[in-house]
Amino acid sequence: MARWGMVIDLDRCTACQACVVACQVENNVAPPSAEQATRGRAISWLRLVPFKESEHGTRPGLRLVPLPCMQCDRPPCTKVCPVQATQIDKEGLVAQVYPRCIGCRYCTTACPYTVRHFNWERPEWPEPMAEGLNPDVSVRPRGVVEKCTFCHHRLQRAKDKAAAESRPLREGDYVPACVETCPAGAMVFGDLDDPRSAVVRLSESPRAFRLLEELGTRPKVIYLSKGEWGGTV
Amino acid sequence: MGIQASLRREHRLAVAGFATAFVLAGGATTAALTLGGRNAFFRPAVHQPISFNHRKHVTELDIGCTTCHLTVETEAFSGLPDADLCAGCHLEPQGKSEEEKKLVEMLKKGTALAWKPLFRQPAHVFYSHRRHVIAAKLQCRVCHGAIADTIAPPVRVRRLVMDDCVSCHRRERVSTDCTVCHR
Ligand code: HEC
Ligand code: HEC
Ligand code: HEC
Ligand code: HEC
Ligand code: HEC
Repeated sequence: MARWGMVIDLDRCTACQACVVACQVENNVAPPSAEQATRGRAISWLRLVPFKESEHGTRPGLRLVPLPCMQCDRPPCTKVCPVQATQIDKEGLVAQVYPRCIGCRYCTTACPYTVRHFNWERPEWPEPMAEGLNPDVSVRPRGVVEKCTFCHHRLQRAKDKAAAESRPLREGDYVPACVETCPAGAMVFGDLDDPRSAVVRLSESPRAFRLLEELGTRPKVIYLSKGEWGGTV
Repeated sequence: MGIQASLRREHRLAVAGFATAFVLAGGATTAALTLGGRNAFFRPAVHQPISFNHRKHVTELDIGCTTCHLTVETEAFSGLPDADLCAGCHLEPQGKSEEEKKLVEMLKKGTALAWKPLFRQPAHVFYSHRRHVIAAKLQCRVCHGAIADTIAPPVRVRRLVMDDCVSCHRRERVSTDCTVCHR
């Protein structure tokens, strides 16, 4: 059984935000109104978050870090859900079952990465966009929590296709939209339990680190960065 | 009609079903209401543009399901026949039925046949026909009942609920992780 993970190479990332747009379109995340944005209610499954680099680093200033759901192996969010609307599955994906969610927002509070979002309002799209929604991803109603799913609807499709072709899933069959889009090749996706996969090779690099590792969440998003900065996030 | 539009309409239907249940159930308990939203009895009736006779085509004329449900073995969705497909045989009347006359008229005028969905799942569920029909080798009737033997579209259908899917998956030792079906 696979254990899905992502590697983001910050030394390659140019902060162009193509991944952010790809995510938004793929997952039917409605653009926020000005008012929602002002109130901090904008939903974004993948954001670029500014982090201050070490004063002594070779590149001072801000670094923009793409921040999807970390898909923790020990997720703090699933533990606090009173109705099991969020669970970690056998392949390590932390899922959110929208019709099950009661909107209590314990999980948004428990998540140390702040990647969970509550739908304060019914999502709305400007006219031409409303016609182009992705049918593989359901539109979340008002009152439920949502977050990055590692595009697991793509895994459903990939497995369905592999089964139709009577073959096992191959590396590259299942890739989230952000990874597929990244023009800098800074994002890599695959099975962390497959010793031959690119993500395993990269995660063993001396540049590799995980965000807030000390909390014991065991994130499956692994960042790469040179120098002392890597360890100081 | 686009998939999104039909899904949205489907949702409205479900809501309407729930509302009907609410009126009928009056002061009943919440439990009864929840059932009402699901129960075939409370589902709004479906009126098709043509009263299609499955038994005539399937049993008497021996036309296979894939002739009309083109992608049932090759895609996730099964597909419903459009007017062109019916026109292959019905540009001239094949028999004496009134319903067929109506169909021939519609085909001459070029009216689209907008079949109303019967078995649709909510948008948050992923379901694949080819997976169940080919990989799992299931008969259509396991899930759709005797529809192929009906002489008119069912007015109300008993849709599959999550328990139908999950209980078979448990029996067959197929995954029941939420992520397998929900999206
Ligand atoms: C000649 C064309 C034709 C053939 C052959 C045919 N069908 Fe249909 N089927 C239709 C049409 C038209 C509809 C939509 C009208 C209706 O609801 O009856 C339909 C509807 C259905 C539906 C309900 C679809 C929904 O919207 O949920 C099912 C299930 C179905 N057919 C199963 C079968 C099976 C099983 C077979 C083979 C045993 C079969 N059909 C053969 C034309 C056909
Ligand atoms: C392969 C040829 C073929 C196709 C395709 C086909 N039909 Fe038929 N259909 C027939 C024949 C033959 C009859 C039988 C006439 C009879 O015996 O009265 C018939 C009968 C009918 C009748 C009259 C049924 C009754 O109860 O007496 C209707 C209505 C009808 N078809 C609708 C449709 C529709 C709608 C479609 C497209 C989804 C369709 N047919 C596709 C061949 C076809
Ligand atoms: C394991 C259960 C199962 C089996 C077996 C099954 N179906 Fe379905 N069928 C469904 C479900 C669930 C839906 C609703 C799909 C949706 O909402 O996307 C559906 C929908 C349909 C529809 C509506 C149109 C569409 O595009 O999906 C048709 C037609 C249909 N099925 C025909 C068939 C035929 C023909 C067979 C046999 C060859 C078959 N089904 C076997 C569960 C099943
Ligand atoms: C009568 C038994 C049966 C029913 C009912 C049934 N399934 Fe399945 N399903 C199976 C089997 C068997 C497989 C495994 C197919 C294979 O060998 O690849 C499967 C596979 C699947 C898969 C792929 C699982 C994976 O691990 O990739 C999905 C998704 C799925 N079913 C969804 C549904 C949904 C949704 C429903 C209800 C609408 C449903 N199934 C109803 C028997 C069933
Ligand atoms: C094998 C497929 C399958 C699996 C696995 C599955 N579901 Fe479902 N689920 C469905 C289908 C189909 C529906 C829609 C039909 C219905 O409402 O019963 C549904 C509907 C629901 C609903 C809405 C019910 C309502 O009354 O509207 C909830 C809540 C839900 N599922 C939660 C879960 C959770 C939590 C899990 C994981 C523990 C899960 N499901 C796993 C197929 C599945």
